[in-house]
Amino acid sequence: MKAKYLNELKEVLIEYRASNKDLNDILSDYDQLYEDALASGKTDDEVWQMLGTPREAANELIDTLQRRKEKNIKTKIIAVMPFISLIVFFVLGFYQDLWHPGWLVFLAIPMSAILLQARLKDGIVALMPFLSVIIFLILGWGYDLWNPGWMVFLSIPVVAILLHTNVKELPVAISPFVAVIAFMILGFEYNLWNPGWLVFLIIPMLGILHEKNLLKVFVYELSFALAIGFYLYMGYVEGSWGYGAIGFLLPVAMGLIFGDVKFMVGNFSEEERKKAITMVGIIVVAIGLFLALGFGLGGWAWAWQVFLLIPVVAIILFDKVRLTALMPFLAVIIFFSVGYFFDMFHISWLAFLLIPITAIIENA
Amino acid sequence: MNTQFKKGILEMCILAIISKKDMYGFQVIDSLSKEIDVNENTVYPILRRLTGQGLFETYVEQTNVGAPRKYYRMTELGKKKLYDYESEWRSFLGGVFRLLGGNINES
Repeated sequence: MKAKYLNELKEVLIEYRASNKDLNDILSDYDQLYEDALASGKTDDEVWQMLGTPREAANELIDTLQRRKEKNIKTKIIAVMPFISLIVFFVLGFYQDLWHPGWLVFLAIPMSAILLQARLKDGIVALMPFLSVIIFLILGWGYDLWNPGWMVFLSIPVVAILLHTNVKELPVAISPFVAVIAFMILGFEYNLWNPGWLVFLIIPMLGILHEKNLLKVFVYELSFALAIGFYLYMGYVEGSWGYGAIGFLLPVAMGLIFGDVKFMVGNFSEEERKKAITMVGIIVVAIGLFLALGFGLGGWAWAWQVFLLIPVVAIILFDKVRLTALMPFLAVIIFFSVGYFFDMFHISWLAFLLIPITAIIENA
Repeated sequence: MNTQFKKGILEMCILAIISKKDMYGFQVIDSLSKEIDVNENTVYPILRRLTGQGLFETYVEQTNVGAPRKYYRMTELGKKKLYDYESEWRSFLGGVFRLLGGNINES
């Protein structure tokens, strides 16, 4: 745990361009603080709490750092890029009458800064919005494929997840986006909003695969399969989707039997108990709301967004409230709602730009 | 109470603690958190900042177990800063107590 803490701290300090002297000094001090705290009887978790997360610690230290000097050539390229872009823009405009889409060359300004300054992984993530815009506009103007061209914007969060998630956790992390794409294709192309929403069940079904107890995995997966089968049977054969939904009580019952809600009665503090009850409440409310909107208003196409409440509330309750963490979910809601209700998918993708903008503002 | 004000008080407390005896990082955090409700992760950055300002100097001392420890010792500049802080703080507290109708020495 100490090595993990120091490695993460080192990464953030490098990101903040701390000089080698500062880096060695701080890491050595934190190594000592960590050792002393452990020697005093604290657990690793308590030490982490005492020192703050590596990013919190680095944020506190930022004004004590002597920043590394930028490599001159990189700084110079970034500095001249606006002028180069302007010249290219005028050449394209005056000589080729390509004012439009010649303005795209201005995207080279932020892209060059990102390429030359950010670390490889962060650079790729930060470049994705710009690359997506270019691909989207080429698809739109060139081939009149505004729809489904907007789907390239889903690559922004997907690439970020691909580059920052462990291989083991990748399928679960990526599953919400796969589900969204599959759901929209089923909905728009085949008008299968219901039972198309069932694709969202791949999220918990993949998540369960991380469980070590194989019996538990089998029972959970079986309960989901039976619930889905029952729902489809009741809907298509008996014409009663409503009764079919009752089948989903089966996986919920399995959760109760396996004691995955044991925190409700476990030896936890009052605050943790309240948080757990709130979470369970939110899950129940989200399911209830989803079914009510689906059956009551026929809103299968958009009602799934209520499930985004679950991770949002979890972040607010269990993590430090940071807009950066919440923004992907809010962006998806804005993106889908504006696109779906106002038929403006060609504009609503802009909501995804809120993700990097918030991160930049909050971490500045 | 705003963050800047709190940090100022914390700086004064750290100066006061180390003025009594040389201490290593964890010792400072431990001593402070026993007396006041403090966000522990802000202590080391303050120590580092104050050292950078020349209010502390550091030296390394061997220990019986583990790696050598870095100790913080107050400089003359640090003593002057602590004196200034204390004067300001006592004057401020005096005003507050007068407004509240009490006396600074009562507590």
